Amino acid sequence: MSEQERHRPSRRRLTSMNEKTCPPIVLAALLLLGCDVPSSTAQFTEQVPDRASFPDVAQAMVAHCGTLDCHGTPYRNMRIYGNTGLRWLATDQTLNPPCTTSAEVDQDFDSVVGFEPEAMSAVVAQHGANPDLLTMVRKARGIESHKGGTVMKPGDDLDTCITSWLADNTQTSACQRVGPATTPPPLPGTEPACEPGP
Amino acid sequence: MKQMPRWVGSFKGLALLGLIACDPVHSNDIAALGGEAPGVSKGPMHRPGQPCTVCHDGAIGDPPAFSVAGTVFETPSSAQGADGVTVTMVDSSGSSHSATTNAAGNFYLTPQNWTPVYPILSVTVAAGDVGAIMHSQISWSGSCGWCHVKPAGPSSPGHVSLMLDDGGTPP
Repeated sequence: MSEQERHRPSRRRLTSMNEKTCPPIVLAALLLLGCDVPSSTAQFTEQVPDRASFPDVAQAMVAHCGTLDCHGTPYRNMRIYGNTGLRWLATDQTLNPPCTTSAEVDQDFDSVVGFEPEAMSAVVAQHGANPDLLTMVRKARGIESHKGGTVMKPGDDLDTCITSWLADNTQTSACQRVGPATTPPPLPGTEPACEPGP
Repeated sequence: MKQMPRWVGSFKGLALLGLIACDPVHSNDIAALGGEAPGVSKGPMHRPGQPCTVCHDGAIGDPPAFSVAGTVFETPSSAQGADGVTVTMVDSSGSSHSATTNAAGNFYLTPQNWTPVYPILSVTVAAGDVGAIMHSQISWSGSCGWCHVKPAGPSSPGHVSLMLDDGGTPP
């Protein structure tokens, strides 16, 4: 019997098994996968960047992202509150109080970390190694279409401020360089108290 | 192969134009502006305080395009525009341009006058020794009235004005 003939029957058996046995197995596997639902008690715990160093990041974002014609509007999913734009309290107005309040910093933090929790967790878990996982960063860098255009480039102060915060190593000086140039004085006759974050 | 009648091509073109013209968001924005004020005809004096580039956007059939336009009022609560105010803007490329308000307080620049590179980083309004500085940049909107809506509140600084109601200057 030649080498070719010895192998032929086994090939035939294999073909036969493929045609008759495999489809039901594959179907069963697909069904099992389809029935793989998460447990009703399963919870996703997001990993978030540092809250304590966020106020400087928030102020940089208020200046560059939170203008009233951009993310300083209630019509945006990622909403930025701050002293020169959208205010959190209904009784507050632009520059009154003159500083971004701690309540506004809280809202900004929740907005930024809550926008894409899974991607944010991945970025934080990688110690900020791949910030482009976040739509926020891709849009700001101009990698993805953005109404506000390219607002930062890798290595500039705004980019350094945000990505260093994501890497748990906030470069406060970079944030402060791109924050508001001056803190405006309070409007005459208004409450002079200024309550910056955190 | 049977050739398509020429009118079919024209019909498709018209249908495409119709679709472009039927932007419900844009239509709603225009409808929200309301009609012209009594006694004021279309022109440089009309609709002070409104977001000019909603209509002056350069789209087919719309009035001439403005790159930046708006209104400066005498005070935040006044309906009277401030005449002769110089509005100076500096964009992110460092290019600067000024415009002067007319008797309605309106100013406007066409793309031929100036096409800013956004964001616009600085805006000042000044008349004589009185002036005010804008404390935030402009990210994309060429209309002051897009954000400066009356009355002032948590989502609007109110109308652009040269002076405050008590005679002081804005911060």
